[in-house]
Amino acid sequence: MSNTTPTTSAPILSAVNITKSFSQDGEPTQALKGVSFDVAPSEFVSIVGRSGSGKSTLLSVLSTLLRPDGGTLSYQGSDLAAASEAEIDTLRHGDFAVIFQFHYLLPYLTALENTLLPFMRGLRPVSGEQRRRALDCLERVGLAEKAHRLPGQLSGGEQQRVAIARALVKQARILFADEPTGSLDSTTGSSVMDLLGRLPGEGLSVVMVTHNDQYASLASRVVHMDDGLVV
Amino acid sequence: MNILTIALRNARKKWVRTCLLLLVFTLGVVSIVALSFVSRVVGEGLEKKLVSYGANILVSPKNEKLTVSYGGFAMGDMLFDVAYLDEKDTVAKIDSIALRKNVSVIAPKLVVMDRVKNTAVAIVGVRFEQEKLLKGYWMVEQGALPSKPGGALIGSAAAAKLGLKLGDTLPLGKEKLVVEGILAPTGNEDDNVLLADLSFVQKASGRAGQSNFVEVAALCSGCPIDDIVTQIGSALPNVEIKTLRNIVEQRMYSVQFVKKLILSVSLVILLTGCSMVGISMLSAVNERKKEIGILRSLGFSRRAVFSIFCAEAASIGLFAGLIGYAVGYAVSFRILAVLDMAEGAVLHFEPLDFVATALILALLTSLASLFPAWKAASIEPSEALVTL
Repeated sequence: MSNTTPTTSAPILSAVNITKSFSQDGEPTQALKGVSFDVAPSEFVSIVGRSGSGKSTLLSVLSTLLRPDGGTLSYQGSDLAAASEAEIDTLRHGDFAVIFQFHYLLPYLTALENTLLPFMRGLRPVSGEQRRRALDCLERVGLAEKAHRLPGQLSGGEQQRVAIARALVKQARILFADEPTGSLDSTTGSSVMDLLGRLPGEGLSVVMVTHNDQYASLASRVVHMDDGLVV
Repeated sequence: MNILTIALRNARKKWVRTCLLLLVFTLGVVSIVALSFVSRVVGEGLEKKLVSYGANILVSPKNEKLTVSYGGFAMGDMLFDVAYLDEKDTVAKIDSIALRKNVSVIAPKLVVMDRVKNTAVAIVGVRFEQEKLLKGYWMVEQGALPSKPGGALIGSAAAAKLGLKLGDTLPLGKEKLVVEGILAPTGNEDDNVLLADLSFVQKASGRAGQSNFVEVAALCSGCPIDDIVTQIGSALPNVEIKTLRNIVEQRMYSVQFVKKLILSVSLVILLTGCSMVGISMLSAVNERKKEIGILRSLGFSRRAVFSIFCAEAASIGLFAGLIGYAVGYAVSFRILAVLDMAEGAVLHFEPLDFVATALILALLTSLASLFPAWKAASIEPSEALVTL
């Protein structure tokens, strides 16, 4: 299953020659040294590499959380470097979804409310349809019965599944996952991976960064990174 | 559920911090509202007390006057062609000026001279109901204020000099006055005169409808005395108007001083409260960096994040305003009771002020949180969430 070459279908997301530098202790550090990377529709890609290889930086650039210093990033043919902040916000709100190693749920909102968070951007109240969709997503991650519990009343795995439900409720096109099982035990991690593994079959592309070779092998393609480059 | 849910739920979750802020701000609003109510009552009371010290505007006919003194011997003022005012017309015109609401008493007077027990004495015709308001310091030592037209109130020195007592009769022209009351010493001209009903004195002296002068007491906490004088001057062009400026200015100063003091204290309290809200929100921004990051990663715009922090601060201001006004209103009664001023004090709960206070407080706390909210909106999701 694992390979490092892109699928043959037209990419939904395309990164060409991406560079990104940071200043560390006053010294410039180049995290990405010209990475090119494509994601096809309904593709599950794993990015692996040792710590400091630049995989998390690449995921942040791909998910628009970080602006690259150079290179081209395009989504469905549109250049994201030229996109306005409002357009990026719209993309984050709609087509892109991100989950992190830590769930980052709002502690004062219930599981259902956290799932509904993407719809709480303005003064317009959440609609009944959006609420039904959020309950469906919670059901898909096996948490319908715990919809009204606060994050503090859920286990680590359940919290991560709520974060996945929050990503799913938007009906995004690409899910970016940064070490989604990093803070979970192996049993819980496996259940989260089962869930992520089913998503490409439902039309969602998944780009996952992981240290775990076993989880990485579940992807349709594995990309290896070392020293800021895809190898 | 909408964006405000995030602000309100966070405020509820951090209930200790919210309650503390609410408490501090509510206490501030209570102080301001209570001080405002109390200052209003104290100011009104002060004005009433000051008015009881007497008139501050004197309206009299224009007279030609000559001060006579020869060889070091002063013979007093000589008046030529003594003029009189038409009482009804003068009072009606003063009563009709635009600043009438600032005029508390209009007291016309007619002074006639007569002899009682071979002693020359001044008999002053007054309207007792106006005079009582003008001279709150009057104490009737014996008897009471005259209730009948022919009744007389005798100054303490005049009663002693003339040997008058209650029930004595005195001639006045073709009429007779009956002593109905004797004043306690006042320390002013009232000690040396006889006071009687103005209409009775006018009739007995053959000067029906006439008066020598009119005393006016003005409340001037909200208006300059000059405006009142100008308006009376316009209504009565041929009279002389004198202001007892010192008294008026003292009255205005006293009331204004109390109000300025309240305003200063209120400003300090508000500034302190606003600073606390600002500092608290600033520390909340640092605490909630990851939350802000996740909201931004979900597509919340900078404006949306800015609104969440402003809404949270505004909700504290709104509740503090509502609770503070209600409690401040209740506390005012207690403060007035402690100051022994509750009797007769009228405090109105103004629904419009209630709502306005809450809205102003919401606006102030929002303004206080502008910098923290701007700082929150400036946070990049990568800065808050990404470990590189």
